[in-house]
Amino acid sequence: MSAWTDFTERFRALVFRGRQERELDEEMRFHLEREIEERVRQGASPEEARRQALLAFGGVAGVKDAVRDASGVNPLRDLAGDLRFALRGLRRNPGFALTAILVLGVGIGAITTAFSVTDAVLISQLPFPETDRLVRIFPRQERGLTQLSTVDFQAIREQQKSFDELGAMQLSGMALSGTGDPENVAAGRVTAGFFRALSVVPAAGRLVQESDEILGAPPVVVVSHALAEDRLGGAGGAVGRSITLDGVSYQVIGVLPREAAILAGFRGRVWPALQIPAPTRRGPFWLRGIARLRDGVTIEDATQDLAGISTRLFPIWQSSFQDAEARLTPVSLREAIVGTSTGSIRLFAGAVTLVLLIAIANVATLLLVRASARTPELAVRVAIGAPRFRLARLVLVEGFTLTILAGLVGIALAALSVTLITGIVPGLPRLAEVSLGVREISFAAGVTLIAGLLVSLSPVSLALRHPTSSSLRTDIRRIGASRGGNLVRGALVVAEFALALPLLLGAGLLLNSVLRLERVDPGFDATGMVTASITLPRARYDSAAAQAFWRRAEARLAEVPAFTAAGLTTELPPTDPGNVNNFELVDFPTQDQPLSPWIFATNGYLEALGVRLVEGRLFILADSTGAPPVAVVSQAWANRFFPGGGAVGREFWGGGCRECPRTTIVGVVQDVKYMGLDQPAEAIYIPMTQSDITGLNLVARSSVGAGEALGLIREVVRSLDPELPAAEATMESRIETTLANQWRWTAVIGGFGAAAVLLAAMGIFGLMSYSVRQRRREIGVRLALGAEPGSVTWMIVARGMRLAAYGAVIGVVLALIEARWLRSMLFDVGPTDPATLVAAAAALFVAAFVASWFPGWRAAKIPPVEAIAVD
Amino acid sequence: MPDSTDLLQGTLEMLVLKALSLEPMHGWGIGNRIGQLSGGVFAVNQGSLYPALQRMLRKGWIRSEWRTSEHNRRARYYQLTAAGRRQLGEETESWNRAAKAVFGILAEEAP
Repeated sequence: MSAWTDFTERFRALVFRGRQERELDEEMRFHLEREIEERVRQGASPEEARRQALLAFGGVAGVKDAVRDASGVNPLRDLAGDLRFALRGLRRNPGFALTAILVLGVGIGAITTAFSVTDAVLISQLPFPETDRLVRIFPRQERGLTQLSTVDFQAIREQQKSFDELGAMQLSGMALSGTGDPENVAAGRVTAGFFRALSVVPAAGRLVQESDEILGAPPVVVVSHALAEDRLGGAGGAVGRSITLDGVSYQVIGVLPREAAILAGFRGRVWPALQIPAPTRRGPFWLRGIARLRDGVTIEDATQDLAGISTRLFPIWQSSFQDAEARLTPVSLREAIVGTSTGSIRLFAGAVTLVLLIAIANVATLLLVRASARTPELAVRVAIGAPRFRLARLVLVEGFTLTILAGLVGIALAALSVTLITGIVPGLPRLAEVSLGVREISFAAGVTLIAGLLVSLSPVSLALRHPTSSSLRTDIRRIGASRGGNLVRGALVVAEFALALPLLLGAGLLLNSVLRLERVDPGFDATGMVTASITLPRARYDSAAAQAFWRRAEARLAEVPAFTAAGLTTELPPTDPGNVNNFELVDFPTQDQPLSPWIFATNGYLEALGVRLVEGRLFILADSTGAPPVAVVSQAWANRFFPGGGAVGREFWGGGCRECPRTTIVGVVQDVKYMGLDQPAEAIYIPMTQSDITGLNLVARSSVGAGEALGLIREVVRSLDPELPAAEATMESRIETTLANQWRWTAVIGGFGAAAVLLAAMGIFGLMSYSVRQRRREIGVRLALGAEPGSVTWMIVARGMRLAAYGAVIGVVLALIEARWLRSMLFDVGPTDPATLVAAAAALFVAAFVASWFPGWRAAKIPPVEAIAVD
Repeated sequence: MPDSTDLLQGTLEMLVLKALSLEPMHGWGIGNRIGQLSGGVFAVNQGSLYPALQRMLRKGWIRSEWRTSEHNRRARYYQLTAAGRRQLGEETESWNRAAKAVFGILAEEAP
């Protein structure tokens, strides 16, 4: 009735077991004495009284048992007994216990880590409220163009009906000075609507307002919590102070809270107010649009709304943007941020699951072997009277004890790897949010339970089977020779190999892929090349001053004897498509304007790259400000748009602006990759003199080592303007960084593949050794009858290889299914590349061969006298 | 002595509750009292008394404490709790109802 008294009584019975027993004893004794007294009083003799009293009582032990049963703790006590037994068993076989716990622990740890990563990146909400109402607006349905033009943004702001809040963000880097060392900071210039859409509340001060967006209003900035603490003495004291960004003084009006370190996927240090100048054409595309849907409005509704705005907008700006089909498109913000990484997450999670399953199969085999060795013991228990479900529970408790210990190890490992996460899983958004919280631990617990069940499944079914009398008389060497048991064990090993093959294949393909990437010619020789990125602050450098600066920079670079060639460029290879512009060929006018990397450079830069002129000419002095616009194109570009040659002399409209002067192609140069090593090498070069640039890279090829060259280029920058922050790097490190991601993936999957093969090999080794033990007598007979030791070894090895073969066949099927997930990660190699497949299968067979050979070799050493030994 | 009637578990618990409603006592005393009150018809099987007492402890109907008995020996005394008293009332009522119904059926004269 009362749950409380039930609990307290049970608790008391469990914990104070000794005292309960003594009290029970005393109570029974008292009862008997009274009973005896009573009978004596009625006239019986003491002995007769005693005898009758005992009879009437009916067996003290039985009563005590009944009382204990009624106290409701027997099940718990039995369980505790089973647990103690299980732990003792593990302690007696430390080798087995450690192997099993470690193997499972690693598997559980790995999958928990994978879950925590997947959870942070894919599943859980972005860390600001109402995130499923947030969208990012793209200028076209197809990705390619990701940012809006001023015209787009203003049109949406005026005409939209679907959004509560709308904001714009421009990402850039700005030079921070005035407090400590000059530093290049990630800056997000935003409008008032941006913070409102994201429901950000400032930790101190205020956020950007509409009044700050008016052109010419005093420059204001909201700073991140981290920046306030690093440079402005904390969030409290930052408001009201001034910082200098790109030479202009901004007043700090507010500080963001610590949790708002990443907004719309961007970790900005400073957030200045964005002042949008009036547009002259529909381009360039420089703004990111973020909006919050009104209540009750779906993304489909918003898409319609924006489509309407697009159609109304098109004719007004048709002269500069000819794509009539383009529609402003809203996409859920989470998808926009996370987008491309889902594939790699799934790959990682898939790989980890495979390893875990292999680990479980391995441990299940170990337990199964142990269980079958105990068949006589279990048979004795049944004969004594243990109900079969108790045996099953005993085996289950053993299995769970093992897996729970492994689970603890797994959680510890997961905690460790979560702290090292950036090294393990490369290049994912929202990586900062990966942690080991309640969800992750619950997940680990769930996995542990499932693993416990799976691992105990076979041993339990073994325990539940009818023990025949023969199992009591079983010769210890023939334990577990049942066909069923062997089949299950064989199947588990086959499964391990089947699961290992896709992993090996994946690792092999990734390796193949990254090696091919390494061999891709970026178009230039990176040895000895250094770069320095500079942004000239508008406040101190207007157009004329900027041009003068660049000319001085060129001159200074030329003066350094160690630099054999040097120049300036806005874009750096192999991956920096920061400026991609659309253009329209005069000869082939089209609505769907193609895009190309748009590089402003000097001849010196091309020289420094070592790029050869193929046709036409490079830039000359006459190509200066005001002169007819010219361009030099890459070979790949020429081949694409003018196959068969003749690009020189042709014209195009840059930015799709048909009213602007046409640009003439004057030369074709060798290919250099700008969009990534796995992308084509199209490029358009525009002379620096015909543009108004404030952000550039100095590039130099030096004859001395990279370290020294870095110092030299830093000197050059400092001599030009000591207050200018510059980011120096060697070109080789740039190329390395682009490949680093691929290498890390290869390492991760390779590691998993190796672990999988190791486990599978262990599985086969264990199984073959066990098989040899089982068949000792049979092997002894064979050897006694004259069989060659080699044939015995071969018999064992053949069995192992056969299992591996079955596994490989199933594995190939699995690999074909897995193939499509890998496609996006591979370069120049198909996911079902036969060569790699054969190599992976071969690796499996080699592992199986080696793992079976040792037991086989030992089998051949069995002395034939075993055949006649009578036990 | 007539055969000790096989008492259902629930009935035994009800009788124990009644026995304890008069005064707290130890296990032997309860069995003795029930025998007395029933006029010798019910002789409690001692082997089922103690498990029953344990169950009733868990249900919260009685509680126990160790005291010195009438012969200066230590014994475990049981007494009713408030919940136990309530339970006794309920069980008495339903027994009465059942008994009345059975009597009603048995008293039907054959036509």
